[in-house]
Amino acid sequence: MIELKHLDFAYEKNHPILKDISAKFGETGSNVVGVIGPNGTGKSTLFLNLVGMLKPTGGQILVDDQPINYSKKGLNQLRQKIGIVFQNSDQQIFYSIVKDDVAFALHNLNVPEDEIKRRVNTILRELDISELKDRPIQYLSGGQKKRVAIAGILVLNSEWLLLDEPTAGLDPDGKRRMVELIKHLVSRGQKIILSSHDIDFMYEVCDYFYILRDGQFVKSGKKETVFDDEKMLLETKLDQPWLVKVHQKLHLPLYSNEEELFADKALRAKLAKLE
Amino acid sequence: MLVIDKYAYSNRIVKWSPKLKGLLWLLGIILAFQPIIPIKLVLIVVVVWHTLYVTKMSGRVYLHWFYAILPFLLLSIIGIVFTMAPKANQIYYPIHLFGNYFGISKVMLPKGLRLGVQVSTAVVCTYWFALTTPFQQIILTLKAIHMPSLMIEEVMLMYRFIFIFVEACEQIYRAQKLRLGYRTFRLSMHSVGVLVKMLFEQVMIDYQQMVYALDAKLYDGEFKVGEDD
Repeated sequence: MIELKHLDFAYEKNHPILKDISAKFGETGSNVVGVIGPNGTGKSTLFLNLVGMLKPTGGQILVDDQPINYSKKGLNQLRQKIGIVFQNSDQQIFYSIVKDDVAFALHNLNVPEDEIKRRVNTILRELDISELKDRPIQYLSGGQKKRVAIAGILVLNSEWLLLDEPTAGLDPDGKRRMVELIKHLVSRGQKIILSSHDIDFMYEVCDYFYILRDGQFVKSGKKETVFDDEKMLLETKLDQPWLVKVHQKLHLPLYSNEEELFADKALRAKLAKLE
Repeated sequence: MLVIDKYAYSNRIVKWSPKLKGLLWLLGIILAFQPIIPIKLVLIVVVVWHTLYVTKMSGRVYLHWFYAILPFLLLSIIGIVFTMAPKANQIYYPIHLFGNYFGISKVMLPKGLRLGVQVSTAVVCTYWFALTTPFQQIILTLKAIHMPSLMIEEVMLMYRFIFIFVEACEQIYRAQKLRLGYRTFRLSMHSVGVLVKMLFEQVMIDYQQMVYALDAKLYDGEFKVGEDD
């Protein structure tokens, strides 16, 4: 569990980015936590704090009840427990060939060569990018690069995976594949924290939400409750997920994803009567 | 984009051993620097033909690659063959200037031409190597001949990031051109200045992001260059 206790952070004095944030990620048995907030509210800053790249100016972060140890060794351990994938894939891929880049973190841990090969192959297969193994990075599409960047962190088998804006710049196909990927990772026990302002995407994949506004968590909860106040969401420069809108305005049941809605036979029968 | 790379990954001899290609390149360089001119001329013709054949590139595109080096080559040859001399008979087409004669030196002309042929041969051979050998193979070759790992790392990172750099450069240039930033010479000079400044600032920002990403991957100061399997 990752616990934030009254976390404050500021790059410069008197300009706080994060203000008195308290939360317990992974407490309620939720495996996919969503941090939702508009641009510039401090989502990325929060993530950098979680992996010890930035140090809180106030408060504390506890990982499995232990405060973060900011020594080199402590951070090394922390980053094997919490992996982070940034928004811009190009800035986190260092090798020119896919398989070399995915192996990078394992080389840094001095993992034996044959195990590296085995783990890299497993991850590439899992992310469905085995055919890109020997391809040069610069000829990959945005979605493919994103997968390579995620693979480069997943090889570490970290308990937590932080994904900063994973759908930014992806086309509808890339986004669909990202949804599938996250669902797959969760099904094999990966705990994930996502940040995004892509409301419908977040609604579909996350099971617990924190809404961030001007550096503070203004609301948190499960998907059934956290989006019920449309006015508050609009004020936060966000929006309601469309399934919640359909639920509130047309009084349909609250579906947790699109498939559930389209598979609802009772609803289809009712609609058929209208014609 | 740097298309040179595309040819390297998809040519008729991409499967040849990089060591063999390296050796052939070395042989080419040795032949370029040996004294017998006709051998060099034959080599140029053969290597250019072979490059065009294996890369399926048109002659025009191939010539395009020479635009980058032609100014350097011409400038050095001009620097060598033009000279001042006290006597008119030492110079072709002498021009009387400040009591001396300026023009093409009779002694230096053959030397200059020989240098031109020599450089062209070496460049043609190097292009053959660069256009037929994928980067990964070049790295393995460098490793095989025990180049210092620091140098290999450097080459590798440069190759990875030069594409991003060139792309950023192109985007800024296009945006400036669209708003008529290159309409006159004066404006062009100003725009180039802005472009360089923007690139520099971007590099600083990207650097910080890169440090974060390296930390996330537990970077310990060394980029390992993997073996091929």
